[in-house]
Amino acid sequence: MKMIRIYIVMIVALILLAGPATVWAASQLANLENALMCKCDDKCGKVLINCTCDTSKETRKILTGKLDSGLTVDQIVKQYVDKYGETILSAPTKSGFNLSAWIMPFAALAIGGFGVRKVIQSWVRPSQTKKDADANGKESAPETDAPSGKYSKKLADELDRLDS
Amino acid sequence: MNDIGEFALLLALATAIYGVVSYVMAFRSNRVDVYMSADKTPIIVWACIMVSSVALWKAFLTNDFSLQYVAAYSNIDLDVFYKFSSFWGGQKGSLLFWTLILTTYMMVVHVQNRKQNVRLVPIALAVMMVITLFFLVLLNFSTNPFERLPVPPPDGRGLNPLLQNYWMVIHPPTLYLGYVGFTVPFAFAVAALLTKNLDDGWIRLTRKWTLVSWFFLCMGNLFGAQWAYVELGWGGYWAWDPVENAAFMPLIVATAYLHSVMIQEKKDMMKVWNMSLVLLTFVMTIFGTFITRSGLIQSVHTFDEATLGYYFLGFLGVIVAFSVTMILLRLQLLKSKNELDSFLSREASFLLNNLVLLGIAFSTFWGTIFPIVSEAFRGVKITVGPPFYNQVNVPIGMVLLALIGIGPVIAWRRSSWSNLKKNFTKPILAAVIGAAILFPFVPLTDKSEIFTYITFILCIFVMTSMLIEFQKGTGARMEAHGESPVGALSGMVWKNKSRYGGYIVHLGVVLIFAGIAGSQSYSTNVEKHLKEGDRFELRGYDITFEKLLWIKSNDTKERVVAQLGIERDGERIFVGYPEKEFYKGQKQPISEVDLRSTLKEDLYMILADFKGDNLVTKDDGKTGYFKDASVTVKVYVMPMVKWMWTGGWVIAFGTMIAVWPDRLEARRRTERLKRQEAIFLPAQE
Repeated sequence: MKMIRIYIVMIVALILLAGPATVWAASQLANLENALMCKCDDKCGKVLINCTCDTSKETRKILTGKLDSGLTVDQIVKQYVDKYGETILSAPTKSGFNLSAWIMPFAALAIGGFGVRKVIQSWVRPSQTKKDADANGKESAPETDAPSGKYSKKLADELDRLDS
Repeated sequence: MNDIGEFALLLALATAIYGVVSYVMAFRSNRVDVYMSADKTPIIVWACIMVSSVALWKAFLTNDFSLQYVAAYSNIDLDVFYKFSSFWGGQKGSLLFWTLILTTYMMVVHVQNRKQNVRLVPIALAVMMVITLFFLVLLNFSTNPFERLPVPPPDGRGLNPLLQNYWMVIHPPTLYLGYVGFTVPFAFAVAALLTKNLDDGWIRLTRKWTLVSWFFLCMGNLFGAQWAYVELGWGGYWAWDPVENAAFMPLIVATAYLHSVMIQEKKDMMKVWNMSLVLLTFVMTIFGTFITRSGLIQSVHTFDEATLGYYFLGFLGVIVAFSVTMILLRLQLLKSKNELDSFLSREASFLLNNLVLLGIAFSTFWGTIFPIVSEAFRGVKITVGPPFYNQVNVPIGMVLLALIGIGPVIAWRRSSWSNLKKNFTKPILAAVIGAAILFPFVPLTDKSEIFTYITFILCIFVMTSMLIEFQKGTGARMEAHGESPVGALSGMVWKNKSRYGGYIVHLGVVLIFAGIAGSQSYSTNVEKHLKEGDRFELRGYDITFEKLLWIKSNDTKERVVAQLGIERDGERIFVGYPEKEFYKGQKQPISEVDLRSTLKEDLYMILADFKGDNLVTKDDGKTGYFKDASVTVKVYVMPMVKWMWTGGWVIAFGTMIAVWPDRLEARRRTERLKRQEAIFLPAQE
């Protein structure tokens, strides 16, 4: 009876562990397939996960074998890089010179954003200054024939309504 | 006919040279007789290219394998449909096709502007003629499609099986119509720079050309994605391949231009910026062509004989140098009185939109050329694939999506906080309610799923803000004119075609965003090895392998087809036929997927492998089935893919409204034409 209980516990444990283990293995394989390019003769240029050629099928079998043998994703990736060079990776590494690949787009955006802010600031300032001057009750510049503050505000409100 | 075709190419070259020289002479000397003579060249060049094209089509349709190009890209058994499209299946024919579209556009510009816009049109035509000349030099001296074989083979090698798909008949012409179309705004921009006519005249003249080219490029990209989806059999539609990027970048830059040009039209600002964007868009189309035809960057889409790199690199260099020089020379004239009323204005939001769009274009460009940069600096070749673009472009794309919703509800000139509060309350409320409703249904286990959830919320926000715009305008018209809702809506759209056409385009873009997000994050797939009668379940679909069929289409093509019965809740809803096609002379078979597509999701079936030794053929010897067969099938369930394709058609509808001819504008044009007395006027200093 005791043995039967032990067997039942073992079977339940196996069932409980086997599900997540299978899922985990599948996700590990998917990570590898995402990280590596297919290395087929036709130079299909596809990420392994997207490739359907015979070479990709073979590669998947090899990768599954390596995972089953206890190697980690990083270790397998390193093996492939050692064998084929960095070109086997589907994206540049985030270190050394390759880091510039990742940084440049965001750096360009940041610089561009700063530039746009400066541009808007310089474009907004003249009218803003005028408005401030109006608000302080100073006289408008003599060369302009702009309507007085009250009418200017009314005109602006009308235009706002029209726009919206 | 081949001799005529070849001769017509030479004649086109000679005429184009004459056209360029005479247009420039007419412009410089202000001689009407020279101008009249030059003005005949666009039609002659177009006619010559048309004759050449007809000759090449005839060679394909009559299996004339004495032409090296026909022998390389066609064979006797090829369907007539694909014989027609083989024309652009290789480098030589595609260049001729490009030239055919370019000269057709040139002729349309010529006819459209006959006796009007005389300050710009001759120079614009001269610029288009110079570009045509470049392609004609290539066609005559480097990639002549009429090159003969010493001994014609009995049959051709045939068209690449991957190109034997109806999307490949539609996709390249659509893409080329877009690519080549940007030559027109470029030519007018250069004409404006050369003649110093830098008011918004050239913008008005090219507005619809830019919109139509943008539309074709957009649809070309979508058709290409559909081809990849049904033909490449990997359950995806976009792989950030360098050639895909090459078609994507000009689209993004042109989108930035289409938005920022509105500021110039309304406020006469940003002339330098808009000029630069038009020139950059054209530069990007030539850069894309360089990538496709140079073989410099590895891509599945490059032409087999990618040998024209140096020509295109040289051409690209000349265009960039010329464009930069011209802008610098005209910088003073392009300066405009830039003044904004407020940070909180539509103008400012368009500047942000431009920043984000160019950010996406730059990251795509940077990723595309980074392998070359790495090799140049480190001597190490690397690959920049989808993980890079997805990580970089997805967050930037989400900001863009938000701006699509924000921009149109911010007023021109200046928005007050109360105005903003009024306009944004409902969209934000809708987004919050949408987020709460979606929350229990969407998994949020990883970064990709969180991004997708945010994308859906943004889609709801944008959709609501757009619909409110329609509702507000319709309501105002109903109140003012006492019209019915349908009458008010259609009247409003008709009176403001470009505005509401643009909004409809935005709705299409939102559908594409939602489709990409849903299909990328929530798809699932399974690969199963099945014997006849075996069944498995995937997301509520019961899939049974029923039999393995064999079909001999012709002497060069055989098909092995798996019949899959699909049931849902015990009811048979579909029969799938994924297959493998075997072409004579091809090492690997081609997978043809089958799919059941609905707005909710696509059931996508691939025959990955099969085993069938006992073939039983029917009496006709052309069909049969395998006894005791087994197959390996890969089945995907991909949600919301159809939203993307639907988005494309919504964009088409919106663009059609935006470019629909305006009667008032036509009347103004006629009046302008009547006022013009001189046929040719010199440029004013």
